[in-house]
Amino acid sequence: MANDLSAAPAAKLTSDQLVSKLAALLEDFTQDWDHEFDGQMGRGTTLLADLGFESIDIIQLVVAIEEDITHKKVPFDKLLMKDGRYVDDLSIGQIADFLAAQL
Amino acid sequence: MTTKTLFIGMDGCTYTVLNEMTRDLPGEGVAMPFLASLMAKGVRAKLRSTPNPLTPPAWTSIMTGKGPGEHGVFDFIRAEDKGGEVYWTLYDSRDVDAEMIWSIASRAGKSIAALNFPLTAPPPKNTNGAIVPGFIPAKHLRRNSHPQGLFERIKQAIPGFDPKELAWDFDKEKQAMETLSDADMENWVRYHLPREEQWFHIAEYILANDKPDLMAVMFDGTDKIQHQAWQFLDPALMPAERSELYNRVRGVCREYFGNVDRYIKRLVELVGPEAQVFFASDHGFTATVEVLRINSYLEDLGYLKWAVSDGSEQALRREASDFANLDWSQTVAYCRTPSSNGIYIRVAEKPGDPGIPQKDYNRVRDKLIEDLKQLRNEDGEPVIVDVLKREDWFQGAHMKDACDLTLVLRDNGFVSIRNLKPAVVKRPNPIGTHHPDGIFMACGAGISDEGMVGKRKIVDVAPTLLHSLGLPTPSDFEGKVAESFFNETWLSEHPVKIGAPTVRGGEREKSEEMDDNEKKQIIEQLQMLGYME
Repeated sequence: MANDLSAAPAAKLTSDQLVSKLAALLEDFTQDWDHEFDGQMGRGTTLLADLGFESIDIIQLVVAIEEDITHKKVPFDKLLMKDGRYVDDLSIGQIADFLAAQL
Repeated sequence: MTTKTLFIGMDGCTYTVLNEMTRDLPGEGVAMPFLASLMAKGVRAKLRSTPNPLTPPAWTSIMTGKGPGEHGVFDFIRAEDKGGEVYWTLYDSRDVDAEMIWSIASRAGKSIAALNFPLTAPPPKNTNGAIVPGFIPAKHLRRNSHPQGLFERIKQAIPGFDPKELAWDFDKEKQAMETLSDADMENWVRYHLPREEQWFHIAEYILANDKPDLMAVMFDGTDKIQHQAWQFLDPALMPAERSELYNRVRGVCREYFGNVDRYIKRLVELVGPEAQVFFASDHGFTATVEVLRINSYLEDLGYLKWAVSDGSEQALRREASDFANLDWSQTVAYCRTPSSNGIYIRVAEKPGDPGIPQKDYNRVRDKLIEDLKQLRNEDGEPVIVDVLKREDWFQGAHMKDACDLTLVLRDNGFVSIRNLKPAVVKRPNPIGTHHPDGIFMACGAGISDEGMVGKRKIVDVAPTLLHSLGLPTPSDFEGKVAESFFNETWLSEHPVKIGAPTVRGGEREKSEEMDDNEKKQIIEQLQMLGYME
């Protein structure tokens, strides 16, 4: 878990910079999972289909992003919900684009 | 560095069972001979739990020295009534609005280890030592362990380490409250044997290598096994003629307690004779013999209306879930979760909102209390023996989050919130439920040898552990040092001192409140998890 109390709010980051940060975070996040994904994580990597996410994992990932990358609360519902329902899957690129617009 | 204080938590441990495990039974022997030897030379007391004796609020009180009204944790689920809907989330460490002993000891320059305690994930920051949280799925244990690298260190150092055996499995844990077949019952008990062994190996490794000033580990199989297998453990329920199943399941239960005795022996030997060793449980256990379907009774009295089911698969799942599924526009009083054992009264914030006007609150509540106390089972016995008002039992900054009324049932059972009639039915077999009196025991250097002494409160555990570490009781603690646990020589050399107040509140309070969309998101996630619908 991130324990860096001195972490400041993230400066303005581009979507590509965020893809790198998210890929690094997810590499760590899933390093000891039983998923079959063994390629390089990038913009097109998806949470459910590629990395085998379940709902509890999304809760934990939101916490991890807020603690490690944004250092503030982010309205993830705007990303995770479309027309009142949850999206089927999300790619790292979609998360990065969303965060770039939020930060 | 040597460990001064060893704290062994045993979830739901009760003297009813412990006394049986520590005495010589004909044909069975002594399941816990080492603990028996410690009890013979130490001190012990009953430990009064939180008003609703439940794992999250009770362990949080043990870790903070404060009651739920102050620390803010009341249940597994955190819910907010938003007028037209109730929003649900899970409690985590950021909701604990009180400083834990791990942080207090760390600030005072002591090192700690806290293994398998609930509400310690995400791990409290600035902890000087090791935290491996309890009640966390295996996939997230590494990132929720503190400090960074600890998980890898454990993985490399402990042969056979398997986080899947160790960690919380939501599907398995749900079985604690389900009716199981004979084979599933035995498997349920067996499931906890390797799980506890894993926690023991971590504790042994940390204690042997890090030697923290305060070493704490919690074993929670006691609670889970007793929920399902109470009839095999309670001497009052022992049948005149034991069946083969009875002997088999009882044998596995005794094997579990025998293993715990082995863990205790090793950990106590590692800390040596100069250390002080404490044991505590968050609540006790007893038998529940009947089911109170509280929302069904509230419907009979006209306080609530059930949601109308459209017969869809989703609606049927919702009906069967452990969350009240109600017509919120016509509900004045209701119970949210079985574990809360409480009733919320809905008060309209403005005209037109559902609920009663604020001015009617006391009148409606008094009438409701009267109605609740009138309820009788088929034998004419009162089912609800006490009704606790929140201002009497949950004073503190978070009193508004407590149930308006907390019920005490005659058999200490947890209510059901299913939409079934009749409101009260007998159970086919007694099962285990939480009793408000748990255990608190100690032995070691400077500890009294008085045996059983007067009952203590659950908030006394934290100041007693801090005192053992040589630290003063923070002035804002609700609990007091259990002075009867120490001998006169110790107390004359180590007088009890009151020190500066605690410093850290919950991070949730300091951060922005979640907006409604964030709450919706978590609700959907809980639905996906199977918590809801």
